[in-house]
Amino acid sequence: MPLSGTLDVAPRLADAPRLDNYDTEAWEIADVELLSLTFEIDDAQMTSALPPALHPTIPPVAYFSVAAYPESPIGPFLLAQVRIGCRASALPRGFLLRAYSDSPAACDALGRRWGYQCRPADVRLRRYHDRVVGTVAVDAQEVLRASLVDPQPISGGSIFHVSTMTLARADDDDGRGVLVQVDPPYVFQRAERGMPEVTTFERSAWNAEGIEPVWPVTATFVRCDTGFPRIRYVLDARQPARTGTRKLR
Amino acid sequence: MKFGIFYEISVPRPWDPESERTVYERALEQVRLADELGFDQVWAVEHHFLEEYSHCSSPEIFLTACAVQTQRIRVGHGIVVCVPQINHPVRIAERAATLDIISGGRFEMGTGRSATWTELGAFCANPDDTKKTWDEIVRCLPKMWTQERFSHDGAAFRMPPRAILPKPYQKPHPPMWVAITSPGTEIDGADRGLGWLGLTFGGLEEQEKRIAEYRRRIKVCEPVGEVVNEQVNTVNFLYCHEDDATGVATGRRLQGTFGYMAAQLLSAREAYPTPSYPALGLLPQLRPDADSPGDSVRVPDGLCIGSPERIIEAIKKWESVGADRVNFLLNAMEVVPQEEVLASLRLFAKEVMPKFAKSEKAEPATALAGT
Repeated sequence: MPLSGTLDVAPRLADAPRLDNYDTEAWEIADVELLSLTFEIDDAQMTSALPPALHPTIPPVAYFSVAAYPESPIGPFLLAQVRIGCRASALPRGFLLRAYSDSPAACDALGRRWGYQCRPADVRLRRYHDRVVGTVAVDAQEVLRASLVDPQPISGGSIFHVSTMTLARADDDDGRGVLVQVDPPYVFQRAERGMPEVTTFERSAWNAEGIEPVWPVTATFVRCDTGFPRIRYVLDARQPARTGTRKLR
Repeated sequence: MKFGIFYEISVPRPWDPESERTVYERALEQVRLADELGFDQVWAVEHHFLEEYSHCSSPEIFLTACAVQTQRIRVGHGIVVCVPQINHPVRIAERAATLDIISGGRFEMGTGRSATWTELGAFCANPDDTKKTWDEIVRCLPKMWTQERFSHDGAAFRMPPRAILPKPYQKPHPPMWVAITSPGTEIDGADRGLGWLGLTFGGLEEQEKRIAEYRRRIKVCEPVGEVVNEQVNTVNFLYCHEDDATGVATGRRLQGTFGYMAAQLLSAREAYPTPSYPALGLLPQLRPDADSPGDSVRVPDGLCIGSPERIIEAIKKWESVGADRVNFLLNAMEVVPQEEVLASLRLFAKEVMPKFAKSEKAEPATALAGT
């Protein structure tokens, strides 16, 4: 059977957000701009970056993303994420290592509602004619610079965004931690594709020690209607998704 | 209705020096038995880098072994990847012709283009281009086989005039097929006079519509070769057992294991946004109703697992929607012990195959183009 994650989730849980409950309402947000990069990563961290509930993809990949949400119940915000490509049983997912937002209110809400381990930072997303650039700076030090180079229009129908798995604490998790499936719909208005380029990646800022991007795959920049859904599934982080999944609704 | 067997050559971890050899030896034993029992074809995939799921990167060598160890069974590339970064078209033609000679004219040529980033990315092939290069290459292969000298100046490759040798034993050339996974590829196959080599499991209702359209379009095709191959070849799982419950339980384990392993691969569509890959490969067919990791794997209609009676009914359904051949995956990750695989083959040959022997006469077959 396929390889499974070997991450010891206990140390991560100490820093993980605690969910208020599983009943958060959905946020539907229009006109979101989303930059997403995919890189193959060094296989030395193929399993150690993932909890035992998840399988690595073959080859292992990481997703870097920066999104601008022009409105939400807590106001506009930007959100940057680094995720590791994986499978929950047979389903494509991205396991969140860490997120940053320019809005402390967004960090708080995303953590309590969907389990995002999110910290405040200076997050920016800029569109140029020859590239789209997302940056994250913490205490004036740049920790991510991710770019799409040479954007070319494509159909939004060609885009496939994998859903996110966040690691959180919950009142009923018996201290084991839960993986929260965040699987919003996407309605694409515009899409571009180009080459991915990461020129700054401070791994320690992203819970990403040892994660080494080794091969560019692709980059996309889209305008879409998306958001954050009601939570439908949570998983026991320490047992295979096949047996450790709980359906909430 | 004809029956075949189909190999991915999956090798479960942990690997030791004997792991791959054991799986290959078992496969060859199955092929020898299938030949004796009257199965018509053995197919082998070409996959690269697909850990555990498929260790079958040189199917032409496996198929050569199959050919020399058997008498009647036909040997099929299912499929050769027609992407120039992976296989130069001349090498495809040369290897195919050689295997056709070695097998005494028993070779079948399946064509395709790969569906994973795992493979395309490693060979630096652009997923945008694979439909185009497949089209160019399938037009060239029959010419390479039939023309004394061949030259070409295209987008996928170019070459000055050369004699491409050897020539196939079958005249004018071996039957050609295209792998059908993405929606619409059946239309590509029909329009080019290529046989339908189905590589998705189940979905009888959808397959019926697609097969009907394939039959309609191929009547007016412009064939790429000198032979029109109007045949529909589907793939299925096989586990046949006297006790239906035992057969279904083991068959579901086989199907579930295969689906689980297939899902771990990074599909071209998932990794690289392109209109060239509108489907996620095998995944949607395998888990059509699942959006939770904990959902159980649904057993598609028409699966050939269980008692002979159940399997006969399943094959009748395939026959009714227009399939001419069924190829069976016999194992995945070695979850079925070899003796049980062999027993399943024997029982199928004894109890199921005779029920379909008479329909062979009415089966569509290859025809010379223009006749």
